[in-house]
Amino acid sequence: MEQRTIMEYEPEQLEPYDFRRAMEEASRCLLCEDAPCTKGCPAGTDPAKFIRSIRFKNTSGAAETIRENNILGASCALICPQERLCQAACSRCGIDRPIEIKKLQQFAMEHERKSGRKYLNKEKTYTGKRVACIGAGPASLACAAELAKQGVEVTIYDEHEEAGGMLRYLIPPYRLPEQVINQDIDQLVKLGVHFELNHHVSTEELETLKAEFDQVFIGAGMWESKTLPIPGSTLDGVVMAINFLNEAKKNHGQIDRLGSVVIIGGGDVAMDCAATSKLLGAENIYDVFIEALDEAPAVQSEKEFVFKLGVPMISEFKPVEFIGNGKVERVRFEHIKNGSTMEIVADTVILAVGQKLCDVAKSWTEEDGLFIGGDMVNGGDTVVRAVKEGKEAAAKIIESFRG
Amino acid sequence: MAIKKDLSINFLGVECENPFFLSSSPVCNNAEQISKAFDAGWAGIFYKTVGINGMDEVSPRFDITTKETTPWTGFKNMEQISERSLAENVEDIKILKAKYPNKVIGISIMGSNEEEWVTLAKEVTAAGADILELNFSCPQMTSHAMGSDVGQNPELVYKYTKAVVNNTHLPVVAKMTPNIGKMEEPALAAMRAGAQGVSAINTIKSITNIDLDILTGKPVVNGKSSISGYSGSAVKPIALRFITQLAKCEELNEVQLSGIGGIETWQDAIEFILLGCRNVQVTTSVMQYGYRIVEDMITGISHFMEERGVDRLDELVGIALNNIIPAEELDRSFQIIPHIDLEKCIGCGRCYISCYDGSHQAIAWDGETRTPKIINEDCVGCHLCMNVCPVTNCITSGEVIFKEGRQNNRSAKDIVQQLVYH
Repeated sequence: MEQRTIMEYEPEQLEPYDFRRAMEEASRCLLCEDAPCTKGCPAGTDPAKFIRSIRFKNTSGAAETIRENNILGASCALICPQERLCQAACSRCGIDRPIEIKKLQQFAMEHERKSGRKYLNKEKTYTGKRVACIGAGPASLACAAELAKQGVEVTIYDEHEEAGGMLRYLIPPYRLPEQVINQDIDQLVKLGVHFELNHHVSTEELETLKAEFDQVFIGAGMWESKTLPIPGSTLDGVVMAINFLNEAKKNHGQIDRLGSVVIIGGGDVAMDCAATSKLLGAENIYDVFIEALDEAPAVQSEKEFVFKLGVPMISEFKPVEFIGNGKVERVRFEHIKNGSTMEIVADTVILAVGQKLCDVAKSWTEEDGLFIGGDMVNGGDTVVRAVKEGKEAAAKIIESFRG
Repeated sequence: MAIKKDLSINFLGVECENPFFLSSSPVCNNAEQISKAFDAGWAGIFYKTVGINGMDEVSPRFDITTKETTPWTGFKNMEQISERSLAENVEDIKILKAKYPNKVIGISIMGSNEEEWVTLAKEVTAAGADILELNFSCPQMTSHAMGSDVGQNPELVYKYTKAVVNNTHLPVVAKMTPNIGKMEEPALAAMRAGAQGVSAINTIKSITNIDLDILTGKPVVNGKSSISGYSGSAVKPIALRFITQLAKCEELNEVQLSGIGGIETWQDAIEFILLGCRNVQVTTSVMQYGYRIVEDMITGISHFMEERGVDRLDELVGIALNNIIPAEELDRSFQIIPHIDLEKCIGCGRCYISCYDGSHQAIAWDGETRTPKIINEDCVGCHLCMNVCPVTNCITSGEVIFKEGRQNNRSAKDIVQQLVYH
């Protein structure tokens, strides 16, 4: 029987392993010396340790390890590109195939959710210290959690209605259901972190916060879309990937008819747009990108998912013009090497060609006495990478308290 | 065409088409069920122990042990002897005998006093049994005048065996309990009373698991549990040890052995045969997988015989026994240093961990390249590394080093080595 492909845009849950299945997978683990998988996780989630815990029937211990190391453990279990991180390092690759590390992490996190256990405790080491974190995305959340665990009073500011940043507003629900994000955010709430949501921090206010708090961390995300400098890009029907995904998510998939869709881009966000379009009933969907298929930056499993959904990917074509009268009707492409051209009919064109920081965030730097992490440092990378930077910034902040 | 080997073997004067029998248990409880087993290829049975009265059983009555996700590494069972009446069982024995004249009908019996043993012997013999097996070994009887309490007492074993032998013309097998230090003693008692065969082992008294919610053993019978018999793969090594001791006991030379304990595959079965059994009995793996497992026992042994050029199963009986010797007689003059094939090594470091924590710290670990290296001068040749390595043929036997002054003109080739690790 072929493995089931998710066909629902907003599932309540992505089916986790049960105990037997988890034990089966954990038993495949070679329990390596100085395990390469653990070294392969930027966030330091320590898969070798939590898999060993599962193998020795200590699921609570596994959940505790994940939580101690990665405050976004439940979300990362679903969205992390493990195939190029921990799994790429897995010694078992030398025998057959790597351990399904994310599924084991999901199993342990599901145990946490069901048991309602709280694994993190607040120590009183730095009570009296106060830190503001700007942005409620992965980097800020990770920084806040590390600080809160050591007794620091943390307030997170974010202009959105809810915490989570890209997790909440960009990643589609068929990859990351709402309840999983909430499970992670709950851990911060339990640690006593304050959230100031619907609160945009301007450069002026930042000065006030710097005076009011002992330290300020900035974890602004890349919320601005890059565009293409070609004719017709302002036509109606040409939308930005972030806006498209956000709109779909906010409305639980109830959006205006998409018609025929052309997605431009070969990254993970483009794959999200392609799959979302398909799951929301678009008619003819084409994902076109400039790279060769194997060089398109999306992880292999996301490309495969889009392929399984039946969305064709066309590689090595670049868009040269959006054609239409007020509203987009067609997109013209040229092959990057051999001069072939093609036109695809489109009611909706989704541009997934990258994102950038807003100008204000760009002006905030470490030279201003700020601590910085996430997209601002790494130029837009994975959630685990943001977690790593958030943790590192927290360590620097703690260092500053030690004087 | 598939190969066809003659697996027939004579056991206690009875011709058996192959050595595979079902042991006395829930897998041979009535004629209908046993018919299916015979059709599947089992040569004979030991019918579920017939008593004077049917038993009153608990629910649930089984538990399993597991390792990682391997279920049934061992099995615990609380059933006693047949829950059917003597008359019902006698009726079924007659049906089976008429329907399957070429199959071997062994009948297990158990009484609680001499009179009952005599009655059972007579009734079952008259019904048409081919062999009688005396159950001196069930560890979960509710009566202390029955089962393993009797089997632990050579005087009672003698007395009841004698009573049966005096009341039947059939060959008699005494089934031994492993819940004893020296099995030779009750076996000799049975032999002196006239038993021609001994079967071993019955189940081992056990507590398999404790239920961490209810805080009692498993299976949980209305909040409580009891000690009862353990069987399956986990007990095979214990069974093979008892069989070896019985087979090596010179006074028991004339007694034929039937091996029982954790047999699942033809390889398990052949191990018992190589240690001296002319017959093997199976229950636990049939409970898990069904009667069909005998097919792979039959063809598996046939292929083994073909590959080794063996024509008769008889030729294999007991031929490994001479190679089991007392520990004090083993050759202790050399060490075999393992060899790690770095082409095959995947760098998991398990050999290093086990050698350090569980042996002699004789493997060096290069963390940069993730490479193990045997330190010859520290290695004692225990081969723990070969037993933990997850890669086939990555670590193998290497150099043979003789201890100072103990080579005695031998070369490495003179040392017989294990060819395959698991």
